[in-house]
Amino acid sequence: MEKNRIFTAIAGAAAAVFPLILGLNEYYVFLVTLIMLYTTIVVAWQLIGGLGGQLDLGAGAYHGLGAIVTGYLMVYHGISGWVGLFAGGLAAAGVAFIIGYPSFRFGLKEVWYALSSLALVLILQKIFLLWTDVAGPLERYIPYAAFDPIFMRSGYKTFYYYITLALFAATLALVYRIRKNKLGLYLQSIRDNEEAAEMLGVDVRKYKLIALLVYSFIAAMTGGIYTSMVGFYHPTLFDSWISIQTVTLSIAGGLGSLWGPPITSLILLTVQEYLRITLGAVIIGLHQVIFGIILIFIILFRPEGLGPLLDTLSVRLGLGSKASKEM
Amino acid sequence: MVATEVFTSFIQYVVLGLMLGGVYALAAMGLALLFGVANLINFAHGEYIMLAMYMTYVVSLGLLQDPVLSPIVTVPVFFIIGVLTYLGVFKRLVTAPPLSQIAATVGILVLLRNLALTIWAAEPKAPPYTVFATSVSLGPLTIPLDKLLATVVSIAALLVLYFFLERSRLGVAMRAAADDVEAISLMGVDTGRLFLTTTGISMAMVGLSGSLIMTFQAVTPTSGLLFGLLTWAIVALAGLGTVRGILVSAIIFGVVDSLASGLWDPRGREIVLYGLFILILWVRPKGLFGRR
Repeated sequence: MEKNRIFTAIAGAAAAVFPLILGLNEYYVFLVTLIMLYTTIVVAWQLIGGLGGQLDLGAGAYHGLGAIVTGYLMVYHGISGWVGLFAGGLAAAGVAFIIGYPSFRFGLKEVWYALSSLALVLILQKIFLLWTDVAGPLERYIPYAAFDPIFMRSGYKTFYYYITLALFAATLALVYRIRKNKLGLYLQSIRDNEEAAEMLGVDVRKYKLIALLVYSFIAAMTGGIYTSMVGFYHPTLFDSWISIQTVTLSIAGGLGSLWGPPITSLILLTVQEYLRITLGAVIIGLHQVIFGIILIFIILFRPEGLGPLLDTLSVRLGLGSKASKEM
Repeated sequence: MVATEVFTSFIQYVVLGLMLGGVYALAAMGLALLFGVANLINFAHGEYIMLAMYMTYVVSLGLLQDPVLSPIVTVPVFFIIGVLTYLGVFKRLVTAPPLSQIAATVGILVLLRNLALTIWAAEPKAPPYTVFATSVSLGPLTIPLDKLLATVVSIAALLVLYFFLERSRLGVAMRAAADDVEAISLMGVDTGRLFLTTTGISMAMVGLSGSLIMTFQAVTPTSGLLFGLLTWAIVALAGLGTVRGILVSAIIFGVVDSLASGLWDPRGREIVLYGLFILILWVRPKGLFGRR
């Protein structure tokens, strides 16, 4: 346990001074922030997917909603992004409830749940494309400010790096806690055998819904941070690619593993960005072809993902708690 | 006067929708066959259709001049692609849980979509010129010949499949596998070979369907997502993957698609189609004809 704390302290300190290591290079800080932002979604997805066993492909919808709500409030009402983050989170959780409640009520599972959540991304994208009062086909730009922490707008990417780092750390801590408490155990029982869990008196619908709401709230917050960082919003932020990326990274990392998905996500996204810089400029899309091949190989030859490998490693180093050893 | 005009345009869109439905039926049949017979969830089905459309584009520009002739190439090539996909990926997935099937085929989706982006870039590729790119008037209605041809060929292909499933030994084995895989393997059917053939046939239908769609619709690397969701929606509405069920369900989606883009807004068609899809999953989770 003591080792665990030391490790967390070292990782935290390293993360805190990371922009300095990058020499405050705006481009690199931006890339690292993006990678961490997407990894935050992967971590939050563990609640509904990794623990609850529901293959949710709605991340793009919630991410997009957070981006549009935050952006809209900043552009048209001059309301600070900090308020926008929570307003976006609430909006996403609201939509997740409207879609999630009937889905769980009618027992949508597996491929059908996955498809309906993916459909949600495209439905919302088209709704906001047609809803020109809020979004529409043109990009809406957030007023520029060199550094305005109260409005949550800054020309320096490092500002967003620390916001993202805070959200990432908070999400990790939250998922870690939920795994260990009752909610986490209920969710795992649903994942392992839904009928059995229901028969033993677990309120299956309620816990799935709680997991969905928390996850959609966090995914929306990443959208809000993203839109303020890039300075505009557009309906294409409802991006099915974010959904697909989140699920594939989680599975490659190992469902139910604590450290597998975030570490795999950080590594693979970094590889992807590296390939984008080196190959992507030469041949567009090639980096993602390689990414796709890596994914297929992991799933075919290590169906349990990289998670167990990482968890064993952390136990070997004396870092993992007992809970993660059992997973 | 205005009322009759509105009525005529309504009928016009219904007729177009019926034709679209025939094409969609063939597009969805390959998916339904694979899902029904081999119990394989192919999340990349739409991406294979997209790939068939690009292949049609290349073949008709370089070799055959008219996309109508392109099935000569795409059908056998896609049968082989199906066999290779089975041997490379699906073979390991047959007994895997749904989650792994979805995950692995999402990997294929990522691969194919970006392969298309790498080779053909993001700009849409318009349908190559075909001699059928005209239309005939039928009273107040206009019938585009390219869509009519696509529908007729699609329905003919579905008829062939129907008789194949009803009459041939292999077809009977496929239908039996849809009912009970364990039983037929006890009866001495080599399920590995059966699933291999099923994947091949499924992909051959995708090849034909992609060629036909390419006669009247442009393609981009993200077209796969549209066709993927649309064909899954059709399978969901049909419930059981019989030829008749898929045809009825595809025609419903074709008419809804055509009415939504014609009478409302072409950009809004996806809202209506996918909204309908989600509603079906809630209200009729077993589809029109029941699902196991």
